[in-house]
Amino acid sequence: MDRRKFLKRSSLASGLFFVPSFVKAFEQVTSSYLGYKRLVIIQLSGGNDGLNTVVPFRNDLYYKERPTLAISKNDIIKLNDDVGLHANLAPLKRLYDDGYLSIINNVGYPNPVRSHFRSMDIWHTGTDSDKYLQSGWLGRYLDHYGKHPHSAIEIDESLSLAMKGNTINAIATQDPKAFYNLSKDPYFKNIHNHQNDAHLSEHNLGYLYKSMIAAESSAKYIYETSKTVSTSKEYPNNSFGKQLKTMAQFINSGLDTKVFYGSLNGFDTHVNQLNAQKRLLKTYANGIGTFVQDLKDNGTFKDTLILTFSEFGRRVKQNASLGTDHGTANNVFVIGEHLKKQGFYNNMASLSDLDDNGDLKFEIDFRTIYATVLNKWLDVNDEKILNKSFKQLDFI
Amino acid sequence: MKIKHVQHLYWRIGFGILPTELEKLSRKNKKAVVNNLLNASKTITPLKLDTSELDDLLSGSYEKTRENIKKVQTISRQKTKELNVAWIDRLAGTKELLREKMTLFWANHFVCEDNNYVYSQQFHNTLRTHALGNFKDFVKAISKEAAMTKYLNTKQNRKQKPNENFARELMELFTLGVGHYTEDDIKESARAFTGYSHNLQGNFVFRKRQHDEGSKTFFGRSGNFDGDDIINIILENKQCAKFICEKMYRYFVNDIIDENHVNSMVDVFYADYNIENVMRYMMLSNWFYDEKNIGTKIKSPIEFLIGIKYTVPVNFKNPKQLLYIQKLLGQILLNPPNVAGWKGGRNWIDSNTIVMRLKLPSLILNNAYISKAKKGTSDTVMETKKQGFKKRFGRHFKTESDWNYFDNQFRNVDINDLGNYILACDMNKTAGEYLKSLSKVSKQEHCVQLMSLPEYQMC
Repeated sequence: MDRRKFLKRSSLASGLFFVPSFVKAFEQVTSSYLGYKRLVIIQLSGGNDGLNTVVPFRNDLYYKERPTLAISKNDIIKLNDDVGLHANLAPLKRLYDDGYLSIINNVGYPNPVRSHFRSMDIWHTGTDSDKYLQSGWLGRYLDHYGKHPHSAIEIDESLSLAMKGNTINAIATQDPKAFYNLSKDPYFKNIHNHQNDAHLSEHNLGYLYKSMIAAESSAKYIYETSKTVSTSKEYPNNSFGKQLKTMAQFINSGLDTKVFYGSLNGFDTHVNQLNAQKRLLKTYANGIGTFVQDLKDNGTFKDTLILTFSEFGRRVKQNASLGTDHGTANNVFVIGEHLKKQGFYNNMASLSDLDDNGDLKFEIDFRTIYATVLNKWLDVNDEKILNKSFKQLDFI
Repeated sequence: MKIKHVQHLYWRIGFGILPTELEKLSRKNKKAVVNNLLNASKTITPLKLDTSELDDLLSGSYEKTRENIKKVQTISRQKTKELNVAWIDRLAGTKELLREKMTLFWANHFVCEDNNYVYSQQFHNTLRTHALGNFKDFVKAISKEAAMTKYLNTKQNRKQKPNENFARELMELFTLGVGHYTEDDIKESARAFTGYSHNLQGNFVFRKRQHDEGSKTFFGRSGNFDGDDIINIILENKQCAKFICEKMYRYFVNDIIDENHVNSMVDVFYADYNIENVMRYMMLSNWFYDEKNIGTKIKSPIEFLIGIKYTVPVNFKNPKQLLYIQKLLGQILLNPPNVAGWKGGRNWIDSNTIVMRLKLPSLILNNAYISKAKKGTSDTVMETKKQGFKKRFGRHFKTESDWNYFDNQFRNVDINDLGNYILACDMNKTAGEYLKSLSKVSKQEHCVQLMSLPEYQMC
C-alpha cells in the first residue's frame, strides 16, 4: 500500500471512533497532505439588495435613485474611497482586512428572470434561463464524484434543488442525533434486506426505498462521527447561527463530506427594507464571523471555501413602499484562506448604464464561478457537471 | 364500481376510505359515486374560531397604539395555531370531502400568509367558498382579499410608484405560468391594480385617488383597465385554463402529465371556468382509473397525516406537537415556504422526511413500537418492549388513539387482507416476504406494520 492510500484509509477509519487527540492531530496532517477541500454554500433567499450591502457611497446616482433608502455615507464601513459595507457587516470587514474575502460584483446570467422561484432554480441547476433541469449542480457533482449521499449535506429540514442529483440526493439534516434515532429501527432494515439497488429509483416507490436506505446509512455515520466533537464557541442565538454551529461540528469532526449547504431567508424586501435588511445582514455577518473563527481554531478553515449568493439583486430605484423590487445582477462573497484576488474581484456596476427595466447589467455569469470552484477547488471536471464549458475566473 | 377504483378515487379526492363505506359505494355505479361526492360538497361550512376579542380591537374604536398592535399580533399567533389544529380535525372528519380537499389544493395555489388572524381566516374561507365555483370570480375575490393585498404588496401599489409584486405573481403563479407574459405586461397590469387596499376590519377598499386612471396596454389591448379587467383579459387566454388543469392533473392524477388527458380537461375548463365541471369530468374519465395512475403518487405530508388519523382516530393532547409534526414532515398548514407554495411530488421526500414518515405511525399510535415477532413465536416480550419504547419515545408525543373505532370499521376484514385496505399500491417483494415471516399478532399491530412501510407513502 502506498503512503497516499494508507493515509486515506486510516483517516477514513478513524472517523468512526472516538479518536484520541494524537490521532486527531495526525488526521489533520493527512487532510492537508491529501488536499482535502470542502465547499460551504450560503444562500440568501429572497434576493438580497446588493447595492445596500456593498454600497457605492460616492455615486450620486445611487442617492438620486434611492432618496430615502440609500445608506448614508456616515453609516458605512469604508473599504476604499468609493465603496463601503453596510454598517452591520463588521465581521465581514475583519475578513476583508485579513485578506479572506473576495467580493465578486455584477454576477448574474443572460436574459435574467425576475421570479424568485425561477431564478432560484436557475442558480440551483446552473442552467440557461430558458431551460429546465431537475437536478442541481451540486447534485450532479454528487452523481459523478460523490462516494455517498453524505458527501454533500444540507443543514436544514429539507433539501434544496441544488443538492439533488440525477441518481444521488444529498443528505438534509438539522439534528444528527434525532435523525439517527429515528432511522435505526431494525424493522426498516428488514423490509429492504438484499434489495437490488439497480431499479430502485425508476418509479416513485423505488425512489422512496432508495431514500430510506441512503438516509439510514448516512444517519448512522453522521451521528457517530460528529458526536466526537463539540464546540464551545458562542454562536448567535438564531436558526442561522444554529445551522452554522452544526456545520462547524460536522467539519471539525472530520466528516467525509465535500459540500455543505445552508441558507438564510427573508430578503424579499418590497416594503420597509431598511430595518429588515439591517437585521438580516447582522444575522448573516455575525454568524459567518463566528463560524470562520471556529474553523480557524480547529485548523479546518484553510481547507474550507465559503460562497454566498442570492438569486438576484434588487432594482436600482427604490419603490414607493420604502423597498425595492426584483432586479438582476448581484454580488457574490467568496471567503477563504487561499484567495488569489483579495478584496474586490472586479469593479462595481455602472448605475448609469442600466437595462430597460432599470436593473444592473450583469458582467460575470454565475456559472463561471461554479466552474472555477469545481475545477480549481474541488478538483473535478466542471464541464461534466455543468454540461457546458465556462471560462475560469481567477479568484482562487 | 370496482372496489379498487373507489379506493383510488377516495385516495385522491380524500384521504382514503374505510371498509364499511367502501362496501356501500362499490355497489353503485361511477356516476352515482361521483354525484354523491359533488352533492355532499354543495354546502359550504366556513371554518371559524371565536374572534370577538380581535374584532373589538379592529373595530376602529380602539386607538392604533403600539400596545394594541402587539395585542393583535399575540392573539393572532395563538389563533393561527388553533386554526391549524381545527383544520386538521376538519379534514379528517368532513362530510364535504371534495370541497375540503379542493380547499387544500387551492391553499397551495393562491398561496398567502398574514400575521393578522382575522384577515387570514377570511382568506382561508374565501378559498373554501370558491373551491368548486367559478375560477374567474375566484381570482377576482383573491385579488381583493386583505391578506393578499398585504402579502403581495398591492396595498403599497400607488399611481405614482407602482409595486409590481402582485401583478407578477398573478400571472406567474396564479393564472398563466412563467414565460407567457412580458415584463411590460407586468408593469402595465401593476398600474391597473393601483389603489387596491382594505380597511382595518379586512374589507376591500378601492382608493380612487391612488388609482392610475391612465390608459394601459396589456396583452396588446389598450384601455383604462382596472384589476378586474386585467383578470378578464388574462382568462381569455387559453393558457390560463391549461396552466390550472395541468396543476390539477399533477395533484389529482399523476406527476407526469399526459398531454391528451390534460387537453381534454382544458376544453371543459375553458368553456366556462367552472371548477366543479372540470372536476366532475376528471373523476368520470376512464383514464383517471388507468393502472398507471393508481397508487403511484407520493402523499403530501398532510395527506399522510390525515390518512393515519382517518383510519385510526388519534387525538393530540398537546396541539403544539401536531404543529411540530407538520414541521418535521415539511408542510405546516397556514405556513407556506413562500408564494410558490410547496413543490410536491418527490420534493416531499428527503433523508429527513422519509425517516420521520416511516417512524411516525408507530410514534403516535403504538408508543414508537413496530412489532417484529417471528411467525410461530408468540410475542411475549412485545409488551415489555413496548413499555421500553414508551419510556424512550413516549414523552415525545402525547396522543390518544381510538383503536375501538378502527376495530369496528375493520371488523369484517380478514387480517390477511388488511394490506388491501391500508395500502394504495402493491407491496415490494422483499417487504412482502419479511412481513409474511412475521406473526400477525393483531389487526392493530399489523396496521402499524403496514403504515410503517414506504408503500404507505403512496396514494
